[in-house]
Amino acid sequence: MQPAPERISVQANVLNANQQTAIANRELFAREGLIVMNLMSAPGAGKTTLLEGTLKAFRGQMRVAVIEGDLQTDLDAQRIKALGVRAHQITTGTVCHLDARMIARALEAFPVSGLDLLIIENVGNLICPASFDLGESLRVVVCSVAEGPEKPKKYPVMFNKANVVLVNKIDLADASGVDLTELERNIREVNPTATIFSLSARTGEGLDAWTNWIQNAVQTRVQTALASA
Amino acid sequence: MHEISIAESIVQIAETKAREQKALLVQVIKLRLGKFTTIVPEALQFAFEICREGTLSHAARLDIERIPMIVRCAVCDSSTEPMCGVCLICSECGFPLEIISGEELEIEYIEVDSEQEVSQCNQHQNEFQSRPMY
Repeated sequence: MQPAPERISVQANVLNANQQTAIANRELFAREGLIVMNLMSAPGAGKTTLLEGTLKAFRGQMRVAVIEGDLQTDLDAQRIKALGVRAHQITTGTVCHLDARMIARALEAFPVSGLDLLIIENVGNLICPASFDLGESLRVVVCSVAEGPEKPKKYPVMFNKANVVLVNKIDLADASGVDLTELERNIREVNPTATIFSLSARTGEGLDAWTNWIQNAVQTRVQTALASA
Repeated sequence: MHEISIAESIVQIAETKAREQKALLVQVIKLRLGKFTTIVPEALQFAFEICREGTLSHAARLDIERIPMIVRCAVCDSSTEPMCGVCLICSECGFPLEIISGEELEIEYIEVDSEQEVSQCNQHQNEFQSRPMY
């Protein structure tokens, strides 16, 4: 007769390996005194255009670098480099998200010393990146008006984990027949505490409020670091 | 399809634990999976069947317990499943709700056969050792 199998208690988080690397990344970022933004959205929400507008506003104000994540091509990194900003492209092949180890490897070739802000543009995807902590200090989700007002309800985990939600392409609200108040209410339902900015990266409308907010966050971080030094 | 990454981690954790205990065959992996995660159980089962090949879990069953999403209102001092999809604003008082369960993604236990019970397992052990780790 076959003996009964032995039960061994494990009690381990499946994402523990990623989490350990994320913690190490976060410690490294804290030592360097920089804010790290994990920028996420569905494909085509306008992350890279938004990033271009944001980086232009930071010119001469802050030391910023960008890590780009895509399945293929370095097109996005080229767009960032064209602005005179240091950029590093991670191509994931077929993997639908960035994980903490990919960031740790990228940092070996892409030093972040002396920066104020590191922006990581994740793979365009509203599902998978939500599960993988990279070691960031800020999670920013971009949601374009043209995607319709129900996106936050359909992808609640991603929106719930965001510190900031950027509603992009507000210049297309009328053309898309989208009520911005309804979209904002749907974001609040799944994330009552998120900071929300409505803007258009293409026309520049509303961009100042967002870039000022980030600059204040970086300034606060610098002052906190100086106070504790 | 991030379920592949998740399945790789599950197999790796089971492998490490089973080897620590000098077990030679994993029969069952018990997973607690919250409903407020982005993991689809069917996709995870499919990915697991691919990732378990050549490991001590090659014949293991993945038992998935779904954990309901429970939210709590600190003002009303009440806990419920969220209303109307995932609404995290209290329907009674409008206060933001706290998620107290539903985000679980953890291996609770594994069930294994130990050395004296399984004779042909050395073969699988050798197969595994010749493979690269994830």
